[in-house]
Amino acid sequence: MMEQKYYRWMLAPALLLLTAFIYVPVIRGGVMAFQNYNLFDMNDLRFIGFQNFVSVITDKNINFFQILWNTAVWLFGSLFFQFVLGFGLALLLRKPFLGRGIYTAFVFYGWALSGFAIGLTWSWLFNGQFGLVNDLLMRVGILNSPIGFLSNPNLAMISVIIPNIWYGVPFFGIMLLAALQSVPNELYEAATLDGAGSIRKFVSVTVPYVKPTIVSSILLRTMWIVNFPDIIYAMTNGGPVNKTNILATQMINKVFKEYDYGQGSAFGLIIMVLLFAYAVIYLRLTEKDGGENL
Amino acid sequence: MKHLKKTLFVLLLASLVLSSTFAAGTKEAAAGPLTLTFFETMTSPSRTAQIQEVIAKYEALNPNVKISLVSPPYEQADNKLTLMLNSNQELDIIEVRDHTVKQFVNNNKLVDLTPYLAAWDQGDDLLPLTMAAAMTVNDTAYLLPQFFFVKGLFVRTDVLKKHGFTSLPKTTEELYAMSIAITNKAPNQYGFGFRGKGNAFKISDILILSDVANISKDNIYKTEDGTFSFSTPAGRKAVADYVNLYKKAVPSDGINWGFNEQVNAFISGTTPFLVQDPDTVGMVADALDPSQYTVIPMPLGKSGKTYLDYGFAGLGIPTTSKNKDAAWDFISFMVNAENNADFCRTYGPLPVHTSTYADDPYFSSGVYKSWETEMASPDTYVFVKYPLDSPKYPAWSQVQEQSMQALLLGSSTVDATIAQWEAYWK
Repeated sequence: MMEQKYYRWMLAPALLLLTAFIYVPVIRGGVMAFQNYNLFDMNDLRFIGFQNFVSVITDKNINFFQILWNTAVWLFGSLFFQFVLGFGLALLLRKPFLGRGIYTAFVFYGWALSGFAIGLTWSWLFNGQFGLVNDLLMRVGILNSPIGFLSNPNLAMISVIIPNIWYGVPFFGIMLLAALQSVPNELYEAATLDGAGSIRKFVSVTVPYVKPTIVSSILLRTMWIVNFPDIIYAMTNGGPVNKTNILATQMINKVFKEYDYGQGSAFGLIIMVLLFAYAVIYLRLTEKDGGENL
Repeated sequence: MKHLKKTLFVLLLASLVLSSTFAAGTKEAAAGPLTLTFFETMTSPSRTAQIQEVIAKYEALNPNVKISLVSPPYEQADNKLTLMLNSNQELDIIEVRDHTVKQFVNNNKLVDLTPYLAAWDQGDDLLPLTMAAAMTVNDTAYLLPQFFFVKGLFVRTDVLKKHGFTSLPKTTEELYAMSIAITNKAPNQYGFGFRGKGNAFKISDILILSDVANISKDNIYKTEDGTFSFSTPAGRKAVADYVNLYKKAVPSDGINWGFNEQVNAFISGTTPFLVQDPDTVGMVADALDPSQYTVIPMPLGKSGKTYLDYGFAGLGIPTTSKNKDAAWDFISFMVNAENNADFCRTYGPLPVHTSTYADDPYFSSGVYKSWETEMASPDTYVFVKYPLDSPKYPAWSQVQEQSMQALLLGSSTVDATIAQWEAYWK
């Protein structure tokens, strides 16, 4: 009994901090989404029901459904390649080779950089006038004149997804490498005895064993990608013509440029609901075969 | 286990005792000299260092006052200040900007500085523009401006000479024609340093609307008879001309150009014309020889005038301050003619005192001459205001940027775009 009480006390500071810095702001944000909360004029603070949601969804100047579509393209475009390349990277790094430690450190370095800095760097790489990418393509003879990667509405989204892939690959690499290293060698030996080839071993031993890690890291990464406006913000500011504007960048615009915390919170709540729905469906779909290990 | 518990308990106790000691320490310090909290928002490492110098100077003269400077990162500073003011935190001197002053006054956060200004011996030395900026909201001086940003035309004279031009453009028509004549896409030579994102309207509006006669001084988007400025025949034609300039004299990438790309294109010589503020002078001067460039007043439009917006920031006193008189004493020191001129010389923008332009050779000669001309000819260079007090203003930058990009890319028409803008401002 004494022990119980003691643990409770010891947990209290952590709980207090979590409440103060996570739960209170989340609830506050949720409330704000239903208020006329604009720093421009704080004298008119009142509850306005769903008006903020109606305003952002029916905005004539900034098309909400375009933003929603952009968010989906941004998410799945980034996630797919991050995962595939990250998995490949982890497989390559699994077996020891000379200088693996140093090489691994270099490969994972990108993950430690700030998203905004990455965006600024890549916006110079993709610059249509002085960019390195254009310069290389022209020197090799693939291009005759420079391309405006970030100003062409058809290329802009791809051009912001590429840095995001570059940024996210190490995350999957780290997570999956750790999982791969925990696969017991006996399983591979047994599979070899049973006459399995390397593809069969990958499909029947490796994948099932690391599946819980795959499931959880994909879910985590989904949330982070959706909530990751930094690169887009630094590279295109949502342009050209709204082609790279996602929910998270528009939320930032609402809060930091327009001071409209009400509409900004409405975007926040929309993101939260969408992610929650996504997580429920995703976990339902994956738990059928082995995901319950989570 | 028991041992662990004991250690943890001792640690906890120790931290409690330590933290309370530190708290007591800060309280004691506050009881000593008077501490004023100064919140700057347009922060940059070099500017913060400069402000620290002024503070050191002031503290040396006033040993019983300490100024504690708060300098958050530039991107978050305005918002942080707003939040601090709205939660009534103790601040004494705050940096107020053209686009934040209305909001602060709306929320009753700024002290009226009129009595202080009236009693100030340097009050009469302020430029008329300084007073106009000070009284932006409700015709009441809620801030003492520290500096201005006014656009000028930066020109690469060496590039123009190479293309056989010896005269500089005096009208937007000449500017456009020269830009188009110079453009030759194969050697990567273009005419105009376009701005496509990040408050792009602050540059395009000047060029476009200078063709429209009788723009209202109180609102650049209205003519004196109340018509939406772009909807006038001259306005429509000017928007079309601007689109034409983009198509014929700007790299297609220009619609994604922000400040950095613009300045880079100018310095590399890709685009010999650049419309920018005086704080760009430092950057250009570092990269180019004085013989390679100059700054001239903004070209005039078909109206025979050009309408200039003046960006400004200054210092104000929050209503929650308990040391208003002491705060004013520091403000009047920081913005006196001498300190203001020193501050602007390094930082780049235009100082606020009449005497500075008369007595200080730095601001009355060289590239600053063009800004002096602009400020001294109110009939030709007309200073106008953005509708800063409209609740629609904060979202305008994004709406204008995206719709202008659509127009430049050809996915919208001049008339449809103007109709969208007019509907937005209705």
